[in-house]
Amino acid sequence: MRAFLAIPFLLCTQAVAADVSAIVDDHILPRFERLAATTDQLAKVAATDCDPESAELRGSYHAAFDAWVAASHLRFGPTETGERAFALAFWPDPRGATPKVLSQLLSGSDPVVDDDASFASVSIAGRGFYALEFMLFDDQIMVAGTPEYHCKLVQAIADDIDQTADAIWQDWSDRYAALLKTAGTDGNATYQTREEAIQELYKALTTGLQFTSDARVGRPLGTFDKPRPRRAEARRSNRSLRHVVLSLQNLRDLARDLAAEDENLTNTVSAAFDEALARADVISDPSFADINDPQARLRLEILQQHIDAIREIHAANLGAHLGVSAGFNALDGD
Amino acid sequence: MATRRGFLAGLLAAGLVPKPGWADVGGPAFLAAAKLPEGGFHLFGLDPAGATLFSVPLPDRGHAAAAHPSRPQVVAFARRPGTFALVIDCMTGKTVAQLDAPEGRHFYGHGIFSVDGSLMFTPENDYEVGQGRIGIWDCDAGYTRVGEFSSHGVGPHDVVRLPGQDILVVANGGIDTHPDSGRTKLNLPTMRPNLSYVDLDGRLIEQVELDPALHHNSIRHLAIRDDGLVAFAMQWQGDTAEHPPLLGLHQIGSAPVLLSAPGDLQPTMKGYGASVAFSGDGQSAGISSSRGNTAHFYDVASAGFATAITAPDVSGLSGTQQGFLATTGLGEVLDIRKNVIQNVSRHPVSWDNHLISI
Repeated sequence: MRAFLAIPFLLCTQAVAADVSAIVDDHILPRFERLAATTDQLAKVAATDCDPESAELRGSYHAAFDAWVAASHLRFGPTETGERAFALAFWPDPRGATPKVLSQLLSGSDPVVDDDASFASVSIAGRGFYALEFMLFDDQIMVAGTPEYHCKLVQAIADDIDQTADAIWQDWSDRYAALLKTAGTDGNATYQTREEAIQELYKALTTGLQFTSDARVGRPLGTFDKPRPRRAEARRSNRSLRHVVLSLQNLRDLARDLAAEDENLTNTVSAAFDEALARADVISDPSFADINDPQARLRLEILQQHIDAIREIHAANLGAHLGVSAGFNALDGD
Repeated sequence: MATRRGFLAGLLAAGLVPKPGWADVGGPAFLAAAKLPEGGFHLFGLDPAGATLFSVPLPDRGHAAAAHPSRPQVVAFARRPGTFALVIDCMTGKTVAQLDAPEGRHFYGHGIFSVDGSLMFTPENDYEVGQGRIGIWDCDAGYTRVGEFSSHGVGPHDVVRLPGQDILVVANGGIDTHPDSGRTKLNLPTMRPNLSYVDLDGRLIEQVELDPALHHNSIRHLAIRDDGLVAFAMQWQGDTAEHPPLLGLHQIGSAPVLLSAPGDLQPTMKGYGASVAFSGDGQSAGISSSRGNTAHFYDVASAGFATAITAPDVSGLSGTQQGFLATTGLGEVLDIRKNVIQNVSRHPVSWDNHLISI
């Protein structure tokens, strides 16, 4: 009985073995800097070329969206202030709020697009990358409204994305990077111990894995009897599989950094991600549109199983290594 | 115990004990689900001091349970998003009925009986439309489903009943989920939790919404005092750098009161209220945080912070005559008196989220 009590839960008892400063400098800051740079480019391109079918505009949309997905697991601090992350990425959208808001703006030529400050007051569902995707790729919305108004709305969304990304980057470089790096020192009310900073980074890994498995893969997967290909993330611009791959690659980087002190653990965690990425490689339809076919659905389901194996086995081992494993109830979180 | 139970079962079979009550299973004061060291799941009946009186196996991980007001029957709910609940006869350990959520619905792991025990009410997710429902079950007809009404919000998690009245108090947590995407939260930017008082016809009697700045504070778990004062525990879905109040008190017809610990203590809750309870004398209210490995206690009359205890993975919390009983994922049962841990007993199990008063 005593042996059982002692073993299963390691609650912040071990030495903390991860270099927070290195993760801030090498993992976090470059990603948000890149997001700020690519969204700046997106806004500049949109200012001169707002044709939904423009190759240059679509190219800068893809580059900026890639940069967001590469940072989208870092959901704490600057991304959460003022709901900035949701202003960039309102998804999943189970009730179809984004097309509703855009259709309303387009049908009434709402003057809210005329200045940046008032556009930021638009429903959060009408802002960000997923709204821009509708504007550039959705059969109906890409041709809705007058061409002049459509153009202004594309530009307003791109500008707003740029400003939000700048605000996140500024906040990280001016304030939050230092907060994480000085965790556990006097006067740091956000991270009172170094363990709390490690826990924040570890949580970014586990919730990132959960989001990719449950939302990016799970939502289109639906059930065997009822696959839901139309729920696939960013399917209109053929980005669904790309988001899964990008998120796994970036989460692998974070996992490797967190495990860095233990070479064995680094290798096994890394191999588990590689295995999952190999399963993504054999999926041919970039938007998961083919998953009504049982074979195609099976391939996606196998990918999900591999992601869940990372969550259940390897992330759990990593948590134990870092001394931040959650207990039976804390992990359940209900 | 086993002998007595066998004896009673024999009497039952012979029709000599027509109406068994809770006294016939040792008069348990509490119910709690737990994971066993070998991996299975059981529901336990505990005496007022936290010693186990009986245990019955569950097919899967539990969450909370509801005790029938007179019969020694328990409805044990599966972990969210479960679609079944089992009615267990605590004398025989046998499942006597099963509640299956209708197509397109799942349970949240909580439920409550009507005053006379003839009906059972279950918070449910109507997940294709993302709206909360309260399912109605006829306990005297084998727990068949006889209807449902709106929970008047999204994500109804916990439900309690005003003392002696058939008015339900529903914690609409505000979070939209769909079983196809597990527990992924689908509407955080637009979530609007509320506390709703609903009569048995589904009519909304009163609804409490907090300040819009707190719309990320999911109203999740409930406790009720003999005079109808409701305590609600919240879970913060906003910026982790913010540490808003997680405990609220509300009396129907009045404004809610929010309670927070001073200084560096509120952040130790990690934005997470796991369970909430009033002490037996009703003078204290407690809120646990398994994520923060702590529980905070408040004086109800002054709404002032009293004290904090620390215990790894503490989650279940219920009132006792002298104070509180709390359970942890490490198998501990903490006897808390005058807001201090007086005694710790250990069980070779992992106690699950909630400790339910009978």
